[in-house]
Amino acid sequence: MAGPTSDVDWQRAIARFVTAVPHTRDLGLTVEAVEPPEVRVRLPWQPVLLGDPVRGLIHGGVLSMTLDTLCGASVLCGLPRPEVCPTLDLRIDHLRPAVAGEDLFGAARVVHITDSVVFTEGRLWQDAARPVARCTANFVRLGERNTPAGLAEALFAGEGTDES
Amino acid sequence: MNRDDWFRRLRQDDDLQALVDDIPYARHLGITVEAVDDTLQFVLAPHPHNIGNPLVPALHGGVVAAFLETAGTLALMREARSTRLPKIIDFSIDYLRSAAPVATRAECLLVREGRRLANVRALAWQDDPAKPVATARMHFLLSDPPPAG
Repeated sequence: MAGPTSDVDWQRAIARFVTAVPHTRDLGLTVEAVEPPEVRVRLPWQPVLLGDPVRGLIHGGVLSMTLDTLCGASVLCGLPRPEVCPTLDLRIDHLRPAVAGEDLFGAARVVHITDSVVFTEGRLWQDAARPVARCTANFVRLGERNTPAGLAEALFAGEGTDES
Repeated sequence: MNRDDWFRRLRQDDDLQALVDDIPYARHLGITVEAVDDTLQFVLAPHPHNIGNPLVPALHGGVVAAFLETAGTLALMREARSTRLPKIIDFSIDYLRSAAPVATRAECLLVREGRRLANVRALAWQDDPAKPVATARMHFLLSDPPPAG
């Protein structure tokens, strides 16, 4: 990776990262905007997200899953160079229920980086004035030695790269 | 099926799986329930769409979180003294090991059931219960079910 990276390049790189995750790719999670160290995503409403069909509520686990992906994506663009960082822990507060029939939106950002840990925070909403959840998630830095060679290059590869 | 029927079925082992199958996201993840001795064990299927990192490969950490929240909710509804609807307040998960794409099992412990709040712990492992892949804790608000009909 050479030179400064534009937000557009980052958006494409993070989208490529999210697309490589089978679970979120199948659910159609899309990257809406990237302004390092913040990432924004959208999870389109679909009936499979339901946790309580009687009350018409999205499964709380959908929110944890989305926040894990989202905070993990923010880690990539918050570091000097992209590294593979597994989730150490995630804590989520459910502020109000997420309801059926509406897309979920989320934003996450890196708040602090040490040699070994990346600290992030995230939030989700359906109506921007009424957040449904907030979280903190910490990620372990495995170091450049444990990051696959060419990760950055793969994320920032030019058009025409086979993503399948 | 109304809420009263749901609770009635929840308290009968034979129907617990049918209840899990009524939760669309739990069915998508492939969660099943087994009675092992006196305790309930929940099982997460290693479906290809539950993968988070195809390079390792490893299950999606968020999928493991959703699995443990589902397990904790069902364990609480089955073991609680009274039939009240749990609403998740907060949830915290610690990832202890990478979760391979094999069956993941979980057991839950109802740590405290108060008048309004419940605290539940969940532990997930794969081949060896002595090597857990994740541990979680969660708080629920217990509210009375709405009147039938």
